[in-house]
Amino acid sequence: MEVLTSLGHGFAVALEPLNLFWCFVGVFLGTAVGVMPGLGPAATIAMLLPLTFNMPPTTAVIMLAGIYYGAKYGGSTTAILLNVPGESASVVTCLDGYQMARNGRAGAALGIAAISSFIAGTVGVLGLMLLAPPLAKFGLSFSSPEYFALMVMGLAMVVLLAGKSMIKALLAMLLGLWIASMGIDLFSDASRFTFGQSELLDGVDFVIVAIGVFALGEVFGNMEKRGEGTMLPVPKGLRNLLPTMAELKACRFAFLNGSIIGFIIGVLPGAGSTIASFISYGVEKAVSKHPEKFGTGVPEGVAAPEGANNSETGGAMVPLLTLGIPGSGTTAILLAAFILWGLRPGPLMIQENPDLFWGLVASMYVGNVMLLVLNLPLIPLFAQILKLREYILYPIIFGISIVGVYAVSGSLFDCWMLVVFGLLGYAIRRLDYPSAPLILGLVLGDSMERALRQSLMMSQGDLAILVSRPISATMLILAIVLLCLPLFRRANQWRVKALEENG
Amino acid sequence: MAQSKWIKGDVISGAVLAALGAYIVSEAWRWDYSTAEGPGPGFFPIWYGIAMVVLSIVLVVRSGLSAAPAEKTVDWPGIGRALTVWAAFAVCVALMKPLGLLIALALLTLFVVAVMYGQSLKVALAVAVGNAAGFYLVFGLALQLNLPAGPLGF
Amino acid sequence: MRCKMKLRSSIIIAACAATLAAAPAWAQFKPTKPVEFIVHTGPGGGADVLARFIAQTFEKENLAPVRFTVNNKSGGGGLTAMAYVAEKKGDTHAIAVFTGNWLTNPLTRAEAKFTVKDMTPVARLVLEPALIAVKGDAPFKTLKDFIEAAKKAPGTMKQSGGSITSRDNVVRQLLMKDTGANWAYISFPGGGERIAALLGGHVNMMVVEPQEAGEHIKAGNMRVIATVADKRLGGFPNVPTIKEAGYDIPNVEQVRGIVMPAGVAPDVVAYYEDLFLRLSKTATWRKYLEEQQFEDGYMKSAELAKYFDVFTDQMRVILKEAGAKVVR
Repeated sequence: MEVLTSLGHGFAVALEPLNLFWCFVGVFLGTAVGVMPGLGPAATIAMLLPLTFNMPPTTAVIMLAGIYYGAKYGGSTTAILLNVPGESASVVTCLDGYQMARNGRAGAALGIAAISSFIAGTVGVLGLMLLAPPLAKFGLSFSSPEYFALMVMGLAMVVLLAGKSMIKALLAMLLGLWIASMGIDLFSDASRFTFGQSELLDGVDFVIVAIGVFALGEVFGNMEKRGEGTMLPVPKGLRNLLPTMAELKACRFAFLNGSIIGFIIGVLPGAGSTIASFISYGVEKAVSKHPEKFGTGVPEGVAAPEGANNSETGGAMVPLLTLGIPGSGTTAILLAAFILWGLRPGPLMIQENPDLFWGLVASMYVGNVMLLVLNLPLIPLFAQILKLREYILYPIIFGISIVGVYAVSGSLFDCWMLVVFGLLGYAIRRLDYPSAPLILGLVLGDSMERALRQSLMMSQGDLAILVSRPISATMLILAIVLLCLPLFRRANQWRVKALEENG
Repeated sequence: MAQSKWIKGDVISGAVLAALGAYIVSEAWRWDYSTAEGPGPGFFPIWYGIAMVVLSIVLVVRSGLSAAPAEKTVDWPGIGRALTVWAAFAVCVALMKPLGLLIALALLTLFVVAVMYGQSLKVALAVAVGNAAGFYLVFGLALQLNLPAGPLGF
Repeated sequence: MRCKMKLRSSIIIAACAATLAAAPAWAQFKPTKPVEFIVHTGPGGGADVLARFIAQTFEKENLAPVRFTVNNKSGGGGLTAMAYVAEKKGDTHAIAVFTGNWLTNPLTRAEAKFTVKDMTPVARLVLEPALIAVKGDAPFKTLKDFIEAAKKAPGTMKQSGGSITSRDNVVRQLLMKDTGANWAYISFPGGGERIAALLGGHVNMMVVEPQEAGEHIKAGNMRVIATVADKRLGGFPNVPTIKEAGYDIPNVEQVRGIVMPAGVAPDVVAYYEDLFLRLSKTATWRKYLEEQQFEDGYMKSAELAKYFDVFTDQMRVILKEAGAKVVR
């Protein structure tokens, strides 16, 4: 019950007018910038950090957390409407979200994204509040073998995302793995596939590949057929602008799935929201009654990754606030901000700074509510973007892509990478290769290789370490089960068919 | 005048990927496969490079031998249009340094609207200027980002 | 004789004239527009945080007539920022934070087009010590305990750290060579993950910065068994340095300071030298050093240039022994 009183105290802090105001500012700015591809939450927080120097630390933390959340919400808007992933985790939303928009259900997709994000965000905050210390301990028990198993589970998703041609899906994934390995090898300091360019030493930024392959590839593909019409069917009438009860009902499991998977993966330092989104999407597809429909615009395909994306924020706060360990780029900046204000998140933070911790937790909840209230009414407004004619929209997409990429790195080389990956995106489309496995390989390749090599270093070359530990063994078995599910399903279909034919 | 069964999208892309796979393996060969500490930088690339070669050869053979005809009609004009826009995009990036982002973007917009969509020059100019101005307002002024400037100062 | 005296006095007169002419030059340069403060990390990275703090302190203590704006040029493993600085030849309104990486990276990366020799050293600011830490409930109470355990079971003890060219591994290589012990090194990309590996019991030891580990040490989750420093650290008065613990290896310092583009006049360099000297004397800076447990390593430009050479030569030798491919 101590938790409840502390939470009450936290709400008192969060609902102070000053904190409420800056929470709103953070949430609003975060959404606005999250819509811009390339400018993810990390860059936004960094840009707005100077603003916070004159604020009391609690207020500043509240605002920054609001930005973090808001950016996640904003990222899904362009993913759904324009196939432009606003930040890396929104890539998965593009898969079904954009297809829903093409089917005239843009408003519904946006609504589902907002609702799912709200539910998952709430679950995330609840988890943070109630389970932080024990979860932190759980997070610590994860090490390289477990991460490897997690990545394998992620790659097993390829099988689920394959579509028509398994070979092409695998090839796309291998291509993604290759792109991921460009850069400096962490362990040996050797540079791999950098073609002598120092700009490639850090590898290719994921966002550049995502924008090139998804957004630009789509635009180039659409240029084949010259048309004058509007880009996507604009939903008419308020009823069409929001998800129907049937759609919401279909997403019941997805809400849960996204919330839990996202939160747990968020707790693991270094895992990241992109992996959370992919795994949640894959799991949803695996347990769905109509898996073949995924990728054509099913609401669960939006609800699951969007939920995972948001509850991951809550999860990432667990190691940050209880151990002072940043789990991702964004939390690293938050940590730096904390340090600049003289705060030190760590095991003693909850005891030493209860105001801050509980105030933050409460304001995350408040921020969630604000985002839902902000975003739902804005959906009709956003949907109007679809009314723009193609020849106005496409140049805007070009502009957003270039500015989004350039604003973050200030590098012309990165813009050239956009050109390269735009061509790749078009080629993939034209030659009928699935793009999701490519992105999956890109996201997981690096982490998986690293986890494998770390594990083998720990065990001195003994592969058994991957299966001898309980958690990693469990996940590897899960991965195998996921891989075999399509086979079970097919066997079941034969069985049913056989029964029908006989009876 | 039957087109050879082997000139198909899948065959060509498969061949390209096979070549890429071979390149990857050849590069990875030069690095350490395994060191005293553990697997080296060459470990992973060799494996996925080999996988790439094997799978792409399978793809080539499978689609080359398959009875399905090559795409009924390849939409060459369409592909040409798409690639033209891609080239225009590349030119835009090339022009960013000498002319500044806003002008380069405006030119690209002009090209797309006037040439690709066949709109009148007036409409094209309006969209081009509007687009560039919009970006300037939102990103240059409101967000105070540093957009590459050209000789005219913006 | 008279010729000689005439020559000597002419020289003296010439020298006086030269000094008089040069004296006003010292007061000549002052920045007239905002100065670009380049860092090689993204926002939140070590160099970035330092630069922002310095800029903040300049404003707070009114040390400079203009603003210093931080410009993040991350990428290329630090090489992007280095190239950026080197290409700004002659720019008097640009300075950059350099770290030990700027000196070490070009040694192993063939892609590097520039080294610190293409820039002007301004001042060295801080030396960062490190801590050798083990898990709070580990059986090692001293560095000796750990090394003995490592000797008994070669290759089974594990250390978490950054890449093999990082200071963590350099300390390990030096210790292993000195004692004949052997233990594994596992790289993790971020400080958070390294600490998590230690706290979770997956590795036995790590070299960690005081500010990263402070809270864990306070809470008792981590124990410090030795410090990587020249003399005992104020925050850890009861912990011996590596040398005091009985292992005579060179102290591996993590250094940070300021450089600027080449091709600037001596009075410009003198201005910035002086600026940072005044910074290092302020109470705000002293407090910062204490909190971060940094060592004040202020050094002027000329000395710094020599330091660069010494440091680079040392690292070249160490890196070769650690098995990295040295290319220059």
